[in-house]
Amino acid sequence: MTYAYLFKYIIIGDTGVGKSCLLLQFTDKRFQPVHDLTIGVEFGARMVNIDGKQIKLQIWDTAGQESFRSITRSYYRGAAGALLVYDITRRETFNHLTSWLEDARQHSSSNMVIMLIGNKSDLESRRDVKREEGEAFAREHGLIFMETSAKTACNVEEAFINTAKEIYRKIQQGLFDVHNEANGIKIGPQQSISTSLGPSVSQRNCRDVASNSGCC
Amino acid sequence: MSDKDDTETPVLTETVPDGNCEPAKNSECVDQNAKPGSKSEPVGSTRKRPEAKPSSDLETSKVLPVQETTSKDVPQTGWGYWGSWGKSLLSSASATVATVGQGISTVIEKAETSLGIPSPSEISTEKYAPGETNAKENENSSPVAGPFGVFSTISTAVQSTGKSVISGGLDALEFIGKKTMDVIAEGDPGFKRTKGLMNRNSTLSQVLREAKEKEAVRTASEVTMETDKKTHYGLLFDEFQGLSHLEALEMLSRESEIKVKSVLNSLSGEELETLKLELQQLKETFSLAEFCDEEEEEKKGDEDFTKEITELFSQLHVSSKPEKLAKARNTAHEWIRKSLTKPLAEKGEEKQSEAENNERVNENSVEDIHAFAIRSLAELTACSIELFHKTAALLLHGRKQEVMAIERSQTLSQMTVMLCKELSFLSKEFTTCLTTAGVKEKADILNPLITAVFLEASNSASYIQDAFQLLLPVLQISLIENKMESSRHEQQSQRPLSE
Repeated sequence: MTYAYLFKYIIIGDTGVGKSCLLLQFTDKRFQPVHDLTIGVEFGARMVNIDGKQIKLQIWDTAGQESFRSITRSYYRGAAGALLVYDITRRETFNHLTSWLEDARQHSSSNMVIMLIGNKSDLESRRDVKREEGEAFAREHGLIFMETSAKTACNVEEAFINTAKEIYRKIQQGLFDVHNEANGIKIGPQQSISTSLGPSVSQRNCRDVASNSGCC
Repeated sequence: MSDKDDTETPVLTETVPDGNCEPAKNSECVDQNAKPGSKSEPVGSTRKRPEAKPSSDLETSKVLPVQETTSKDVPQTGWGYWGSWGKSLLSSASATVATVGQGISTVIEKAETSLGIPSPSEISTEKYAPGETNAKENENSSPVAGPFGVFSTISTAVQSTGKSVISGGLDALEFIGKKTMDVIAEGDPGFKRTKGLMNRNSTLSQVLREAKEKEAVRTASEVTMETDKKTHYGLLFDEFQGLSHLEALEMLSRESEIKVKSVLNSLSGEELETLKLELQQLKETFSLAEFCDEEEEEKKGDEDFTKEITELFSQLHVSSKPEKLAKARNTAHEWIRKSLTKPLAEKGEEKQSEAENNERVNENSVEDIHAFAIRSLAELTACSIELFHKTAALLLHGRKQEVMAIERSQTLSQMTVMLCKELSFLSKEFTTCLTTAGVKEKADILNPLITAVFLEASNSASYIQDAFQLLLPVLQISLIENKMESSRHEQQSQRPLSE
């Protein structure tokens, strides 16, 4: 019930890349092949454990349709993490990443952690964007990168959790002002700074991130 | 799919030259906009928020009938005008905090004086309500991070007076449920206190979230009360994503409001006056005047709700349907129906032992009913707010305007009234369940549960009305965009002629 921190996430990217499916897989552990178009934004929440701390992820799953773009921009504010999703079987969704990234950078905190996700990795035969291209894009723009499959659940947990780890690491480094809610981080009830920012700064995170690229 | 099929909705701020966006002018425009109507407008009556009063007035306010205090002399504080939401909420909140000092007992007295029910003090001196011990513990704890969260603070306060409320009989209770819980909500001590403590810019959802978190602390520290979680309105409301939708709606509302202001700043002369007038008309539909008028109207058939809400929704011409809401509502009604028919059926059977058996298996305990009632209220409210949020998103997204903004706001206003009535009706049904199931229970157990249901129903209605008010800027910008769109069309159609 209680948590040390609450992180606000947004999921962004073109329509049909599987944003809502990723969320559903993460929160409900199930896959729904046919999904209604998202209107505005939908929500999900889940508790994760990072370095022995309970962290509540509050996830805003935005509409991908171009016509909703000006509305979804309003929702970016106060997000600590963003999952920027494209579909590895549709190149145009990859080509639009720059514009999504611009939006995200412009409308949210500069410290926001962005995870680039190439989704639908189960459809290898229809692949249109090479894994290396995703990696290169992520490197160039300072993002974390992963390929996932909302269908098989491959790397879905990792994508959400690694983002949280990165945010947590930034908190430990003092890059995030946890008292400023505009950063998308809230200290959970019962937590005071003295307990939540203990000396146990974990360097485990990096290792975990590296070891997670297993299944895809 | 591609950028070509749908061109973006024109963002109004882009068309406005930056130089015109002086903040001073900005607020002036809105204020002027607000003032002319402020005396006659009945906005305050719907909100039923406490006004800022000097403490010397408190004595007199006790004596005043409820109707008077709530509907007539409510000044236009920020609650009525969400137009200047960010700032005015704070000022009005801190102003109301001053009145909160009068405490819930005063508020209840207020209610009861007008109802002709003995005052809580008269009765509570005779008997000791269970809630009072809690209330005392509460006093010991610091108001900031005390173990008792906002919602429970209210309910303990109400619990302690619950006895007096029930002593007036069921009729009075129903009447209270309908009318006076508003007054209690008005006192809303914990809630306002929370607001007062927040010195920064705060929004409704933030306040609620904070309240919820404090409650989470309490529930965590009190390992004993597993049931507490099940019956905690705030936690349940969040679980149903009510808070998130409210927060998202606030974001859209605030953004729209900024756009409206910058448009007003960019206009002058006649154009400005016309627009102001139109915006004012729109605002008037947000006053929910009819909410007071139709209070006596009784509930219609069961199927009507779904039909009615669907119909209202279709009038909005947005591509979203209130299915989730209708489903939540129907589930609640079905549950009530079953809960109420079972005991009756059992009475028909003469075999007592069997009836007793059935009773144990089928009949819900008062705690079950209470838990389900709170859960239903939280779910219904969350669904309603989700619906309002989706409506806002679709209004901002929709480029074609088949319906005038003013018609939409009338429909939304009707919808709000309908939802609030539904909540009031549901709470009455639930309390009927409670009284039916709890005939053998002691009043100490039953009464707090009943008052809690009424209280949360009234809270629910407040949230829905607050959410409704958040739609005003959205409809205003929708109206403005529609005007611009049509004038652009005119220009385009005129051009070939002039050339």
